[in-house]
Amino acid sequence: MNIFIHEVKSYLKSVGIWSVAIFLIILIYFSAFNAVAVEAAELEEMLSSFPDELLIAFGMNDMDFTSLLGFFGVVFLFCQICLAIQASNYGISLVSIEERELTADFLLPKPVGRGKILTAKLLAAFTALTVTNLTVWASSFIVISLNRDGRAFDVRTLALILSTIVLFQLFFLSAGIILSLLMKRVRSVIPLSMALSFGMYILNIFGTMLGEDKLEIISPFRHFDPNYILAHGSYDLPLVMISVAVIVIAIPASYALYQKRNIAAAV
Amino acid sequence: MRIYLRELKANLKSTLIYIGVVAFFVVVGFSKFSAYAENPEILEVLDAMPAALLASFNMNAFNLTTVEGFFGVMYAFVALILGIAAVMWGSEIISKEERDKTVEFALTLPVRRSTLITAKTAAALTHCILLALASWGLNAVNSAAYDPEPGFYRFLFQGMAALVVLQVIFLAVGIFIGSAMKQHKRAGSVAISVLLGTYFFSVIAGLKEEWEFLKYFTPFEYFDPALIMRESRVEPVYLWISLGVILISLAGAYLTYQRRDLYI
Repeated sequence: MNIFIHEVKSYLKSVGIWSVAIFLIILIYFSAFNAVAVEAAELEEMLSSFPDELLIAFGMNDMDFTSLLGFFGVVFLFCQICLAIQASNYGISLVSIEERELTADFLLPKPVGRGKILTAKLLAAFTALTVTNLTVWASSFIVISLNRDGRAFDVRTLALILSTIVLFQLFFLSAGIILSLLMKRVRSVIPLSMALSFGMYILNIFGTMLGEDKLEIISPFRHFDPNYILAHGSYDLPLVMISVAVIVIAIPASYALYQKRNIAAAV
Repeated sequence: MRIYLRELKANLKSTLIYIGVVAFFVVVGFSKFSAYAENPEILEVLDAMPAALLASFNMNAFNLTTVEGFFGVMYAFVALILGIAAVMWGSEIISKEERDKTVEFALTLPVRRSTLITAKTAAALTHCILLALASWGLNAVNSAAYDPEPGFYRFLFQGMAALVVLQVIFLAVGIFIGSAMKQHKRAGSVAISVLLGTYFFSVIAGLKEEWEFLKYFTPFEYFDPALIMRESRVEPVYLWISLGVILISLAGAYLTYQRRDLYI
């Protein structure tokens, strides 16, 4: 419990910054798109003259500007990028930070098993991610109601999109942990987490843009594509299962790896 | 000179990884392109659109059935990957000394701090150019199979040269962040936020005329592949901005690093 509390405390500042950033992104971008949508007819004409490749890259290819949720997909994509970076940051630094800062020597001799340490750390990271998740929920509803001008929107679809965040975060968290445990030494976290999160993002738009599913199906940005949910009103279940499978395999594997990990001590 | 060589060696692995990433995207991209090449169906769709419309939106540059058009689309990805590499290298080459606790050693060497920064900047710049050269080569080799028009290689070369400028902008900004940030641990995150922020700007800058001014704030919009392809030039105003940003960032880096209070 002490480890959990200590960890949660150390996440406080980071969660605050991420939450504010995501709230601002939703506020600014949703209001911006909404301002454009007022001239919906003109805009659709203009967008239809853009090259398709460009629109697909930013998920704007089948945006319906006349409905409130029509462009929420794009705004949500920006949130997803941020959430992915945050979750992979937390995942990769979760246990590797102790070795980098030479605090593993202090932590591991404590009378708690490594399994327990990992559980406490995982729960703390998950708590931090959940707080961010709730901020996204709250900001989405607040910003949409601020901009609605009496227009109706489908609460169920919005809830459906926002519910994907939990699995989305867990995917990057667990992928991050297993990645950091597979490496002998993690020198710095950000290049790795950027590779994981941004790599998945680029992989996804790359696939959408040039057609044909090949490697793209491993990307959670594809599994939880907001535009698919907006269009179909449901999840793309087989793809969602890929994410679930990764999480279910990665977490037990991390416990196994951490139990046996050879930890570099100070000096 | 020794510092330069030392940094050159230390960063080699990272450069190789980035070259691998670019190679992966280029190979996957071209394997997809093979389905589009000379595909009449796509041409029909494009032909159905009014010519004036195509011209006004540079659609010719984005005609996916030709190698030129395909590279015009790939360009944005290459720019993003190269930009990430540059900003990360820039911030890390400075802040890693404090992270790895080698800064006491580096700064007690009989060289000035400014010499240290110069050597580090030169090393990172070398790696940026290496990465750009590799991307150039990879694209040239892969496109050769589709016998592109003679103008394509010129377009490719100029496009990659523009990307080197983009890299130098991000590199300079990264070095400035690495030198100026009081907390060395934050340098990487700040560098990435700058990159993400400018990337998000570039997404919406084209949407509405009133937001066109955002283009001045994002290097991703400075070098328009369509303009490079058609007229083989970039807007001079963006070159001046690039130069300004690079000079100010580097000057800032030298000034702040001279007075830097070290975290030991």
